[in-house]
Amino acid sequence: MAAQPHGLIATFETAPEVYHAAEKVRDAGYKFWDCITPFPIHGLDKAMGVKRSNVPKFSLTGGIIGFCTGMSMIWFMNAFDYPLVVGGKPYFSPMFAFPVSYELTILFCAFATIGGMFFLNRLPMHYHPVLKHDTIHRGMDDQFFIVIETRDPKFDAARTRALLEKAGGKDIKELEA
Amino acid sequence: MATSADHAAPAILNEVNPPELPRAVLVENNRSFTWITDKICGIIEGKTPAWWWVCFIVACFVASFTVAGITYLVATGVGVWGHANPVNWAWDIVNFVFWIGIGHAGTLISAILCLLRQKWRTSINRAAEAMTIFAVVCAGIFPVFHVGRVWFAWYLFPIPNSNYVWQNFRSPLEWDVFAVSTYGTVSVLFWYVGLIPDLATLRDRFMAAGNKLRATIYGFFAMGWRGSNRHWSNYEMAYLILAGISTPLVLSVHTIVSFDFAVSLIPGWHTTIFPPYFVAGAIFSGFGMVLTLMLPLRAIYKLEDLITQYHIDCMCKITLATGTMVGYAYAMEFFIAWYGANPYEGFAFINRAFGPYAWAYWTMITCNVITPQFFWFKKVRQNTALVWILSIFVNVGMWFERFVIIVTSLARDFLPSSWGYYSPSIVEIFTFFGTFGVFSVLFLLFIRFLPIMPMAELKAVTPQADVHGGENHH
Amino acid sequence: MSNSAKNAPGSFPASSPGANRALAVGIVGIVATAGGLLLPNNTHAVAHSWLVGVTFWVAITIGMLLMTMIHHIFDASWSTVIRRQWEHGLAAFPWLAVLFLPLVLATWFGPRDLIWPWMNPEHVLHGHGTVANDILYVKKSSFLSINMFMGATAIFFTVWIWLSARLRKASFTQDSDGDLKWTRMNRVTAAFGIPLAALSLTFAAIYWIKSLEYHWFSTMYGVWFFANCVRGALAISVLIMLWLYVRGDYKGILNTNHLHSIGQLMLAFTVFWAYVTFSQYFLIWNANVPEETFWYNLREINADGSPNQWKYVGIFVLVFGHFLVPFLYLLSYKHKIVHSKIKFIAIWMPCVIFFDLCYNILPALKNEHGDALPLVSVNFIWTITAVIGVGGIWLYAYLKSLPTAKLIPIRDPRINESLLHHE
Repeated sequence: MAAQPHGLIATFETAPEVYHAAEKVRDAGYKFWDCITPFPIHGLDKAMGVKRSNVPKFSLTGGIIGFCTGMSMIWFMNAFDYPLVVGGKPYFSPMFAFPVSYELTILFCAFATIGGMFFLNRLPMHYHPVLKHDTIHRGMDDQFFIVIETRDPKFDAARTRALLEKAGGKDIKELEA
Repeated sequence: MATSADHAAPAILNEVNPPELPRAVLVENNRSFTWITDKICGIIEGKTPAWWWVCFIVACFVASFTVAGITYLVATGVGVWGHANPVNWAWDIVNFVFWIGIGHAGTLISAILCLLRQKWRTSINRAAEAMTIFAVVCAGIFPVFHVGRVWFAWYLFPIPNSNYVWQNFRSPLEWDVFAVSTYGTVSVLFWYVGLIPDLATLRDRFMAAGNKLRATIYGFFAMGWRGSNRHWSNYEMAYLILAGISTPLVLSVHTIVSFDFAVSLIPGWHTTIFPPYFVAGAIFSGFGMVLTLMLPLRAIYKLEDLITQYHIDCMCKITLATGTMVGYAYAMEFFIAWYGANPYEGFAFINRAFGPYAWAYWTMITCNVITPQFFWFKKVRQNTALVWILSIFVNVGMWFERFVIIVTSLARDFLPSSWGYYSPSIVEIFTFFGTFGVFSVLFLLFIRFLPIMPMAELKAVTPQADVHGGENHH
Repeated sequence: MSNSAKNAPGSFPASSPGANRALAVGIVGIVATAGGLLLPNNTHAVAHSWLVGVTFWVAITIGMLLMTMIHHIFDASWSTVIRRQWEHGLAAFPWLAVLFLPLVLATWFGPRDLIWPWMNPEHVLHGHGTVANDILYVKKSSFLSINMFMGATAIFFTVWIWLSARLRKASFTQDSDGDLKWTRMNRVTAAFGIPLAALSLTFAAIYWIKSLEYHWFSTMYGVWFFANCVRGALAISVLIMLWLYVRGDYKGILNTNHLHSIGQLMLAFTVFWAYVTFSQYFLIWNANVPEETFWYNLREINADGSPNQWKYVGIFVLVFGHFLVPFLYLLSYKHKIVHSKIKFIAIWMPCVIFFDLCYNILPALKNEHGDALPLVSVNFIWTITAVIGVGGIWLYAYLKSLPTAKLIPIRDPRINESLLHHE
């Protein structure tokens, strides 16, 4: 088991190179693979075949919960638990409850968005095989990598290496798990 | 199907032959990715420059005025401020609104410009967001200490307490509590999410340089970011949504701040245009502050390739546009005060312009409506020193706007026998003066320890980041 | 598919048969509205209906004027292909000025208080005496005078027609000579045109709509009108583009990203409209001062305290129809890019804007108790025929303008970026 490496990593020098290589890997039918880029490359999602993100679902849920929390909290506090007449206003009205509920909508939505993003990305993950690559710090600077994992059903050390080479990858290395 | 022909290059492209009108480049001199990384990380990695220490010590000294003012207030009581009937709100809320307004430009640059795909935001958004957070900190000082017994400030939040009584949600001040604390929280989150990839860059650089301690600290906050494109995909969506919700947030915060006044019956306060008018004013003052901060930074760190003349042009134009909107609101208020034919309302406005606070009113008009009109001229926008001076006028003008609205309306309302004239006490002046120090201390720490520009985003707007480069022209 | 696809991006076929049909619809609508005058005691209702019809289309055209200028001032690229349709829409301004004329002439020569009660000093206010005795009128009489009204209206139309002519001329001429000076000229026009348009639309809203209830005042009113203008223009331009796409003219021009971007703007202005309208209502509700609340009371309850129809219009049409439905609908990415889906909301939005204008204008029609006449009544027929009638003329102006220029601004320096627009 210990011998099983995490996958193969190939280096690319420019954004268009990694973009076109990604299209080739996608067309070869791989599932468990990734591009490492120092910045989000426009259109790379499509080149990789990554679907539109699911983060909005988290945001929407968070927002709805926030709004309901606000409205029910204000009703509970000002109309139910401790009714208090102020300024001739009704105990509860969606009018004056709106500003606070609105703020809570946004607050909960923001937390849900960020939480959802971390959850979908499985972060924080301070240890990862990719981070052990010698030149990975260039991946946060000016270089691009493609990683194909061994757990991919189509993975085959020789053929995958050939594919990466053909796609223009340089300095192809095995990543230890 | 609607989407069938979308991705083929349109055939008619061969037939159109438009003239060239090059767009301004956002990173000048065709800088490489590494240049950007080195430039921005270099600020953090290099030795602390002497000027930084000088500024830091001066800023700490100035900030001590706030500490002194507040300490004296807490020890003595809120009476040490110059408030007295009929002016029971004055500098505290003026300063609060002033600082909150400044904060709004940060969110505006990050969020609204992000939604509008204005790519020029990239080189200024990080610093502008930092400015937002620090401005909110400064703003928060005033209402929190105005409650008097500050150790009871937690009564503002709906936490069960021994009196079994809840907050009054019919009060705009309670809305303010939620608005400002949400705003502060979301601004920090938004800022932090933007920082994650850059923190990872710093982590890797410190690791490569062998600085284990700093690599661990930056690495902890980088959350193990590794530049995975699958992550970028979710990240970008999350960032866009945060931008999307920050936009209505920033509008709502200043709207609610304007409700503090507008839901009341005081002449000069109760007017329906207050919400958008306050928002426009906040953006206006915020851009003034961004210019005030970024122009010296640009000169000190030689960032002319990243904050180009085009950026300055854009900021000047937004200042001009929002200044003019504020002018529209002034005019509309004045007109409707007359049109509404309510004698108190009419008096409030005449009194603003010609009463005892006329000096403040005309300072406001000069700074907010007339100053930005200089930005019509290219010559002015290209003169950095002049832009900087004008930006200071904008800051001053917007402080006076809040002063005029708040103090003139309260000093002379319905009953002439209870009219008064407000002047601040020395404690108030100290406290306000010191907040500039608080702000500067935080800002100096920020430019010393965090990347002042979003490297990943800057790289993404360079020409070499475009994977279709060269494909469009065949 | 029509054969015009192969002409693209050349001229639009000179004979657009739709133009005559549109003109016919317009005339029928106008005649039908005029037919309402035959009924006894119906002049006021017809006149108010006509005001709704004209302001509706004026709002949309002002929206197009603003969008064109905003496009220029931002040096925007993606909207270049859409801009040409806005420019064609601007051709309607002179027609709208003509269509406004009956209101002017009728109040000038006919009963002065046909629409705006303050125009007739003898007009009897409900329980207040006459306008001439009303201190609230006397105070503002220098602004609310017939001469001022007529002069201001003439100025509004002059400004709009003049700005439109400048923008259209520069843009159309650039099609043939490709000179960059036209782009620069349009930027200059936009820079001074936006403040001019902002002021003129504000005062148009005050004179034409707000002064119907001249006791009432709100500083937000111009902003409210602005929000409707832009939303209407966006929705109508989506419909126009989809129509051109179905015809085949916009095949290969319009892509999903254009629709996505314009959908985003529709969403943004939906929120903006709600923000403005809610703030206005909320501040008046919360302060609860009779001199302001009466305007909303008129739209909620009768003098005896029973709710009237406008209350339900406010809740269901405005809160749900004008805000919640478009807002929730447009949140979805799919609803912004699939033609049939965005078409639905692009039809929906002008409808609710129409109801918003009805809500602001029609309650000025009152019965003998001072209660607002209900929306759903015989009078509503004239409102609908008026909107259709003016709409027919608007469409006629648009279709007449369409063949006079290239389908898209082919020599605009940003046209390439616009055609290749991606997010």
